[in-house]
Amino acid sequence: MLLELSEEHKEHLAFLPQVDSAGKLNVSSDTVQHGVEGLTYLLTESSKLMISELDFQDSVFVLGFSEELNKLLLQLYLDNRKEIRTILSELAPSLPSYHNLEWRLDVQLASRSLRQQIKPAVTIKLHLNQNGDHNTKVLQTDPATLLHLVQQLEQALEEMKTNHCRRVVRNIK
Amino acid sequence: MELSESVQKGFQMLADPRSFDSNAFTLLLRAAFQSLLDAQADEAVLAAATYILEAGKHRADKSTLSTYLEDCKFDRERIELFCTEYQNNKNSLEILLGSIGRSLPHITDVSWRLEYQIKTNQLHRMYRPAYLVTLSVQNTDSPSYPEISFSCSMEQLQDLVGKLKDASKSLERATQL
Repeated sequence: MLLELSEEHKEHLAFLPQVDSAGKLNVSSDTVQHGVEGLTYLLTESSKLMISELDFQDSVFVLGFSEELNKLLLQLYLDNRKEIRTILSELAPSLPSYHNLEWRLDVQLASRSLRQQIKPAVTIKLHLNQNGDHNTKVLQTDPATLLHLVQQLEQALEEMKTNHCRRVVRNIK
Repeated sequence: MELSESVQKGFQMLADPRSFDSNAFTLLLRAAFQSLLDAQADEAVLAAATYILEAGKHRADKSTLSTYLEDCKFDRERIELFCTEYQNNKNSLEILLGSIGRSLPHITDVSWRLEYQIKTNQLHRMYRPAYLVTLSVQNTDSPSYPEISFSCSMEQLQDLVGKLKDASKSLERATQL
């Protein structure tokens, strides 16, 4: 799958070969900005679509750069692809995601309304992340519900191992 | 006659034979008249209820009850009646008292969803499974039932389940001591 670069993009990227090895730029700041934007677009779109090495090379070929510059760009793409994809995945609409869980066993011995109790409970601190914000929720549950939670979630994990899920994962690529 | 909705509703409950059989209906009706017409009766009922609550709160045993009732000049027969009634209702009373009070939001249930992520508008060709877990929570403060939802990967869910299992095993060990 080839990356489609518009005329504007090609123009922006056209300034790249002009950068000499000493790193001195003799052009306007606009040109530099466009160049950076063009490069960013090239890398993020390629990473987003997860295009192959060959497709990347072919896409860049239309820019008419030198062999050396093409190789450099390819290396840049391959080196940074994973990280770019990680960052892009964080941009998706998302719910709070699980970070950590701390637990504590408590036994309630008495309350204002009833003395001499033995009421076991599990106190849980759930750590969640959302858009970079760290959120914690303190919750409680009783032993019976705790067992129920474990049972339900173990079933959830087992689902991934079923034939149905394996088939889907195998066939949708 | 203008009665508020709640009063009307409460009164209509008396018509239901499933809520109050004819015996209970008669007793309730009499008690209602008595508490209105007889100031003493009203006071006595209130006092009895208060005493029962206190006894329940402190988990009074039969001898404690008997001693106090004797001090109040109850005769043998009435003491027996009182203790029998108390014994019959003791468990329900304790459950009621135990449920009063503030506590942390309480998890009541969990539901989950397994999905296979294919692409977003920012990222194509994702191909990874993800779980969406929703905890049903009950709050003592408000009658609301908020839910806590979060997503997690398979590894994260394994971590979560592992930790819950540790808590569960610890609980089992603690109750065996």
